[in-house]
Amino acid sequence: MTNQGSGDVTIVDLSTMSPVATLAIGGKPAGVAVSADGARAYVTSPEGKYLTVIDARGRRALRRIALEGGPLGLAVAPDGRRVFVADMYDGRLFAVDPETGAVVATAHVGVTPSGVAVTPDGRLILVSLRDADRIALVDAASFEKIGEIEVGRHPFGVTIDAAGARAYTANVESDDVSVIDLATRAVVATVKVGKRPYCVALAQGRGFVTDQYAEAVSVFDLSTLAPVGEVKVGEYPEGIGASRDGKTVYVANWFTNEFWSIAADSLQVVGKAKTGDGPRAFGAFIRAMN
Amino acid sequence: MSFVVARRGIVLAALSLAALAPSTGFAHGPSRQKVTETIEIAAPAEKIWAVIGNFQDLSWLPVVAKTEGTGDNEPNKATRHITLKNGGEIDELLTKYDAKDFSQAYRIEKVDVKVLPVNNYSSTLTVKPQGDKSVVEWKGAFYRGYPNNDPPPELSDEAALKAITGLYQSGLAALKEKVESGK
Repeated sequence: MTNQGSGDVTIVDLSTMSPVATLAIGGKPAGVAVSADGARAYVTSPEGKYLTVIDARGRRALRRIALEGGPLGLAVAPDGRRVFVADMYDGRLFAVDPETGAVVATAHVGVTPSGVAVTPDGRLILVSLRDADRIALVDAASFEKIGEIEVGRHPFGVTIDAAGARAYTANVESDDVSVIDLATRAVVATVKVGKRPYCVALAQGRGFVTDQYAEAVSVFDLSTLAPVGEVKVGEYPEGIGASRDGKTVYVANWFTNEFWSIAADSLQVVGKAKTGDGPRAFGAFIRAMN
Repeated sequence: MSFVVARRGIVLAALSLAALAPSTGFAHGPSRQKVTETIEIAAPAEKIWAVIGNFQDLSWLPVVAKTEGTGDNEPNKATRHITLKNGGEIDELLTKYDAKDFSQAYRIEKVDVKVLPVNNYSSTLTVKPQGDKSVVEWKGAFYRGYPNNDPPPELSDEAALKAITGLYQSGLAALKEKVESGK
């Protein structure tokens, strides 16, 4: 969990929902992404203008990689060899080699790039362009923008399903989720959710959406796109992620400094942990190898 | 946390900031800020709610000159246009209203950062009964006035926090004085 107020990262053991380590990060950390093999976690500090490389097994920060602009959203390539970081202020997406710390490529994607996601085959990168109400498509090999898709107003988090078939954007200003078919690269549906949605997680054939102004997680069915229910959570829920087995969904409650777990089938809140101040956890923050 | 001394000087200083950057609508900086202020008042919650429970009447807040609005206390319909004594103007929307639990939430729809150096401001005002006393809690979440990196000092995170903290502290102190003195 990136704690933007206290400037650190809390590592929580999901089996006990207990904090097990706190790492000083600085620079108002916000974005986070864990590599597919669970070895590394990467954290952006938009105010400090750097990316921190964390040894997720040893639970220690290894090094900082300086970046320009305002690094916020990020995603790790499936093979772990690149970290894609969006610069929210100057409209760029950086491809960072996490071992050497070099920015190996830069794509100009459009205004206020926010959430970043990569397809499971590693070939396509999606970047939400918040103030343009669009998603930018970036070809991972050439690292060039190859298209845009118009979505709802102010898309922030973007999530791709495990099959690489669909993507989901949380549209903060229009209070809905755009459902994108990745084969045709078109929006196929828009799902109404609660106020100020931040991010979408997928589990058990359901979409889970943090509604910042509603103290709630909206739940909808991924096949019918009909609402399933709403889970009351803490204040200003932001980052949300599912366990790899899809049984549990985890939510960062920014205002109340708590990390909650929710059973994806019964929608019951099953656990709570304390975090540092202002947990955002914007990105793929779940490392659990269950 | 509670306090007794009104800190009107701070909020007036904050509200009269001569900021140079233009207001930028929904754009905002990278780090949302939060403020929670509370005060204990020697009165039942009903009596305090009678003063602050009407979204269309902000006269209990010392910096406010006038409140004009429509929609009574209906969430997502009620709006108010606030004119401050220093001439600043703020438009707000009521987003939640629960008279039974003495709680209301609202957000700023429009404000110039010269008036209040914040963006994307949302707030909750709640009265919590505690025996024959009450605790009033005022909470806010917002971004600083400057939407990009490296803000000028008057539009920094610190400036936003100082402005809102000062507003809440002076407002709650004035509320306490008003309710406890019975004026």
